[in-house]
Amino acid sequence: MSEKRQKSVCPAWGNYKELQELVRHHIESFDYMAARGLEVMMENIKPVKIYDPATDTTLSHILFVNPKLQLPQKERFRTKHNALYPFECRQAKISYTGKLIADVCFQYDKKAVIRESFNFGQLPIMLKSSLCYLRGADPKKLVSLKEESAELGGYFVLNGLERVARPLILQKANYPMSTVRDSFRDRREGFTDKAVVIRCLREFQSSLTDQSSLTVKLYYLRNGSARLGFWIQGREYLVPVGIVLKAFIETYDQEIYQQLTSCNSDGHEKGKGAVGSQLVGERAKIILEEVRDLSLFTQDDCLRHIGEHFKPVMEGFENEEPLNVGHAVLKNYIFVHLTNYDDKFNLLIFMLQKLFSLIDQTSSLDNPDALQNQEVLLPGHIITIYMKEKLEDWLRKAKKLVQDELAKPNRFNFLSVPDVKKIIDRNPSSQISSAVENMLKTGRLATQTGLDLHQRAGLTVQAERLNYLRFLSFFRAVHRGATFAGLRTTSVRKLLPESWGFLCPVHTPDGEPCGLLNHMTYCCRVTSFFDPEGGVKDFFEIRKSILGVLSGLGMAPSFPRLAASGPPQALSVLLDGRVVGSIRSSEVEKVVSKLRRLKVSAASMIPNDLEVGYVPLSMGGAYPGLFLFTSPSRFVRPVRNITIPPEDGRDIELIGPFEQVFMEIRCPDGGNGGRNDAFPATHEEIHPTAMLSVVANLTPWSDHNQSPRNMYQCQMAKQTMGYSLQALRYRADQKLYHLQTPQTPIVRTSTYAKYCIDEYPTGTNAIVAVLAYTGYDMEDAMILNKSSVERGMCHGTIYQTETVDLTEDRTAGQMFMRSSKGPKFLDVDGLPYVGQILQPDEPYCSFGNTIEPKTRVFKRKGSETVVVDYVAVDTKKKKLQKANIRFRHPRNPIIGDKFSSRHGQKGVCSQLWPDIDMPFSGATGMRPDLIINPHAFPSRMTIGMLLESLAAKGGALNGKFVDATPFASSVKKDDAGCTKSEPKSLVDDLGEALKSHGFNYHGVEVLYSGVYGTELTCEIFIGPVYYQRLRHMVSDKFQVRSTGVVDQVTRQPIKGRKRGGGIRFGEMERDAMIAHGAAYLLHDRLHTCSDYHIADVCSICGSVLTTTFIQPHKKMVRVGGFGQVPPQNPKKVLCQACKTSKGMETVAMPYVFKYLASELASMNIKMTLNLSDGA
Amino acid sequence: MEERSYQRKPVVKIREMKDDYMKFELRNTDASVANALRRVMIAEVPTVAIDLVEIEVNSSVLNDEFIAHRLGLIPLTSERAMSMRFSRDCDACDGDGQCEYCSVEFHLRAKCVVDQTLDVTSKDLLSSDHTVVPVDFNEIAGDETSEQKGVMIVKLRRGQELRLRAIARKGIGKDHAKWSPAATVTFMYEPEININEDMMARLSLEDKQSIVESSPTKVFDIDPTTQQVVVVDAEAYTYDDEVIKKLESMGKTGLIDIKAKEDSFIFTVETTGAVKASQLVLNAIEILKQKLDAVRLSDDTVEADDQFGELGAHMRGG
Repeated sequence: MSEKRQKSVCPAWGNYKELQELVRHHIESFDYMAARGLEVMMENIKPVKIYDPATDTTLSHILFVNPKLQLPQKERFRTKHNALYPFECRQAKISYTGKLIADVCFQYDKKAVIRESFNFGQLPIMLKSSLCYLRGADPKKLVSLKEESAELGGYFVLNGLERVARPLILQKANYPMSTVRDSFRDRREGFTDKAVVIRCLREFQSSLTDQSSLTVKLYYLRNGSARLGFWIQGREYLVPVGIVLKAFIETYDQEIYQQLTSCNSDGHEKGKGAVGSQLVGERAKIILEEVRDLSLFTQDDCLRHIGEHFKPVMEGFENEEPLNVGHAVLKNYIFVHLTNYDDKFNLLIFMLQKLFSLIDQTSSLDNPDALQNQEVLLPGHIITIYMKEKLEDWLRKAKKLVQDELAKPNRFNFLSVPDVKKIIDRNPSSQISSAVENMLKTGRLATQTGLDLHQRAGLTVQAERLNYLRFLSFFRAVHRGATFAGLRTTSVRKLLPESWGFLCPVHTPDGEPCGLLNHMTYCCRVTSFFDPEGGVKDFFEIRKSILGVLSGLGMAPSFPRLAASGPPQALSVLLDGRVVGSIRSSEVEKVVSKLRRLKVSAASMIPNDLEVGYVPLSMGGAYPGLFLFTSPSRFVRPVRNITIPPEDGRDIELIGPFEQVFMEIRCPDGGNGGRNDAFPATHEEIHPTAMLSVVANLTPWSDHNQSPRNMYQCQMAKQTMGYSLQALRYRADQKLYHLQTPQTPIVRTSTYAKYCIDEYPTGTNAIVAVLAYTGYDMEDAMILNKSSVERGMCHGTIYQTETVDLTEDRTAGQMFMRSSKGPKFLDVDGLPYVGQILQPDEPYCSFGNTIEPKTRVFKRKGSETVVVDYVAVDTKKKKLQKANIRFRHPRNPIIGDKFSSRHGQKGVCSQLWPDIDMPFSGATGMRPDLIINPHAFPSRMTIGMLLESLAAKGGALNGKFVDATPFASSVKKDDAGCTKSEPKSLVDDLGEALKSHGFNYHGVEVLYSGVYGTELTCEIFIGPVYYQRLRHMVSDKFQVRSTGVVDQVTRQPIKGRKRGGGIRFGEMERDAMIAHGAAYLLHDRLHTCSDYHIADVCSICGSVLTTTFIQPHKKMVRVGGFGQVPPQNPKKVLCQACKTSKGMETVAMPYVFKYLASELASMNIKMTLNLSDGA
Repeated sequence: MEERSYQRKPVVKIREMKDDYMKFELRNTDASVANALRRVMIAEVPTVAIDLVEIEVNSSVLNDEFIAHRLGLIPLTSERAMSMRFSRDCDACDGDGQCEYCSVEFHLRAKCVVDQTLDVTSKDLLSSDHTVVPVDFNEIAGDETSEQKGVMIVKLRRGQELRLRAIARKGIGKDHAKWSPAATVTFMYEPEININEDMMARLSLEDKQSIVESSPTKVFDIDPTTQQVVVVDAEAYTYDDEVIKKLESMGKTGLIDIKAKEDSFIFTVETTGAVKASQLVLNAIEILKQKLDAVRLSDDTVEADDQFGELGAHMRGG
């Protein structure tokens, strides 16, 4: 075997840098919020004004400045060491939060500004963010803080639970998108289904943004005109586009006409890249006529028109001039990413051109489901925009409180800020943070406006530490949005080529969230507010330098007006949704390649994550243009730019999904991949596995498997019982699965070492024989070697924690204690001993109060014997009132437990077979640990598993790990020397290794029957395969019952495993019995074993309900010594209706039948039975 | 019809014998006997192993069950096991394993008081009976000077402590693998390899070479003097048929003929150290005898006699 095959897979200890990269987007988004985001957001909240007519003063400019977020601190501790650490929060079931303080400014009339500090409560702090104590801690420090040595952070600890914000897919910000949606037709009469939609990220001076967004839609009308739709206070308003155009700038009709028709010059009709048509001019005329019909001629006319119409809905503008209202509407609700009216005008013209081209079918629509037109919503950003709304609410309420108070007769001193503050404090400011905490706890947004998001629930999820891979996946997951989950169409779930390299095609669950819950590939990153050096990016400077570069390269700047030429001669250049100019189409390619070079060079001001979205001219393709994006929260991934000489070492370029679509990226296998010569590759993938997620990358030789099997493996890897945590001792998770003796796989991919999976291994190298041995391996069952299991294979434990908080109890003064009569095996403090074995239904702690002598106990539920692992008590109070008691459930493999290889081959243990009966190898004496059936392979085609077995056998013989990185043959060999001389196949490589150790080339061995000692007629394929134990275990699932609890009303067995109920024998089962004619069985199941009842029926009136027992008069019966049974009185039954017991008969019937009779009686329906002797 | 005796006299020839390893030939018997011997060696030869653990203090990183399981798997010297009683059959004690006939008590006390990690190994297990102690692997390897300290149980850091009492009992591998004295027991049929010299002589040297190389194990070689293919190690043959297949592909079927002798076996026995390999074989034969006695003396066998007639007598070894 070649040395190369194991070089890259040896573990590197303690290097968690690559791991940390995986959660970077979570942490960076939070860091920005803490560093600048909150400040920018608060400073740009619209100040409120309160006018007091009595003193004729205006309290104006109530606004927030200078927010300060503090490190998490313990309450009520005024000593030096008052830092609150995450592990304490986890154990005490509290939240890891820091105090948020901000100044609120008050200004009376034009006097000096008075600042008053407000406490905005305890804001949840993300672990390993800049405000966390774990930030920058090395593994040693982390361990001393009772964390994992490989702690990643990126999540919140809320009430002791770890919750991760789930990144959501959003429409790409600041990019006008051609959209077709049927619902547009229903907006108003005359609307079509076509529109151009832009989601604008609000921006202020010097390019600061608070991350809130506002969507503007430009609808096309059937008459050729267009309407601009924008949202105010949760309602959409539609305005004729001409009015908005004219309101933006002082212009004249001819200019607008020229601008709109700039793209349809003569001679280019139907040529490549022509987007205009004759009809555009007609439409422009219609738009202009609409405005003229309303007799609006000047900019002021239009503004006033808008102002008059929007005054009622604009809060705080009740007393303003219509002109000012008009300005406010344009400023705050239309194209909020732009501050300049000229820019807004240019963008609207561009959008109209794009809309008309969509109508004329000279350009295609943009797919909203394609990653090309999407970006991601990150935790820090959602907190910022949610908090913004909460602060605005708070201000509004504060204003109302003050105004209400002013209206009252006994008034307070309006001129004193402390007095005002007192009133404002009636609506406590601390609830701002608790609203955020609640949002993170429940994942639910409590908002009126919807924050321009399409979903209000499921924004955060609990990060289960079932095993490491599952935990990691929470940070790499991106969700398409809850609204799509309910959709009946499946188009959103489709795997589109646009997501290549960004979202993993393999790692998505099957079933309900399939295709909606995706995972980022391991090299996919999200752009942030931070530059590579860790400083906050200055977008103003960045854009300025980009503009500088562009003008230097021959871009005609658009300021103040767009040049009157469009595609195909010139392409518009949009920088973050602002039309900055146009470039001659012949020049564009040069500009693009220059920009790309500047992107990767360290010297330039151009950021390395700039997205150069060059949409080339085409015949009816996407609307052409050069779209540049510098914004954060875009996906990016690294590829190699081969136009740059690799000598510089700076040829790795970050590309986004928008530009990727129009780029030529080749596979690094050296071939051209069937590429047309006209489009030579400009970029190259770094490694073909870059299209897979971390979990998908761990499947060895996944390129040899049938694709759905790799998907199953991604599922199962996340349900594997593994080494979940190293700091297990300090955890109080409700349930943790833990494998006692895990192993590192012999066959592994390069990803395994890169992400230090050895810290948290998930399986065992089991010797697997593939044969049909006893029949117990049929249908995906597997036989485990009993001796192997007894020696510790796949032994595991479940750690389960019960948190007992007596303070929650209403009765005060409760504390843990043991009474003298209480259970002896509890300690004197009422808590169990560590290491103690507890049977089901035994008490695990007792409590009471000091007044009453009585104590009560908590009993163990379930049917398992457990061991007390750990008891932690809260010693903050004098009394012991709060304790975490952790139990260990030993879970060693038994029949019915589930196992799986890493190739989607799962199975259930059907027998623990004695070692001596297992087949053995004559040469080595080896018996397999596990037997699977050969039928598992033909239909599933998991060749990777066969290869793994072969390779692991060779690796075990060599004592070396084997590299099973997929697509290894598609990578250019490092040294050109061995490329030609090594055309050998993978199997050859593995087979030779076996042969050199005296084993069969094909991995088969001659085995002897363990029972008879004779040679098996076939040679058996046998070798080590890494097997995972899945968390589904019979002990948690089995349900048996002979007799037990019955339902009170129906007297039928109750349902539910927990309560000891039965399994439902339903209609379909009943049908099957009927079809078989198994009448006796049916009777047994549905009647005898269910609600068998002997009812007394009156044959005279036929009623089952009118019977009553008559208590026979108690006769004095002399009991005649032992052995003599007292004579039983026959029960006397009487029919109340007939007043006789003559016609009483007993009839066996289901009890529900009687119940039915009484139900019917309650509806005044009488049911009578006609009794006859069954003949 | 003449009385025939099916009785055979099996022969054992020892090839190699070490404390924990043995290789011997078993001839003049059939696979059923050979396999029975193998099965008994693995699953029914008794040893002593820790079965009950009372933990007094355990502040180590491993939990109680884990340590108890590890202790159970430590091989203990079990020469005395054959003469010991199963604790379930012991009359002298009430089954708590405190008596000398059925159990051995162990104590382990370890506490780490230094900054280095303290390795708690099987050497730290103190036995109440000097005949039943954890197996010393250095002794077996004949390496007295080595630093190896026995089987690792747990590692302790400063302040951690492990204190426990363990009771070892007699048991068999059928009940739990920890009582199995055998690491590996396997046998193979002795191969009989015949080379057709005439056909072989007609082959070219390359062909011969390829025949030799076709077997992954070194069964054949070319005699440097005669340039003929010779069998160097017939027992290295694993019945993988590689040579036969090779010859078939060359069109030389019948050049080499390999047969497995039905009545001779080569056993390889490796023990865990609990019993010496030689003793393991002897114990296994003893137990096998007891089992056959049990069959012979059982009432069912008498009934079977009527059923099987003279075969019944054979079954009893007559």
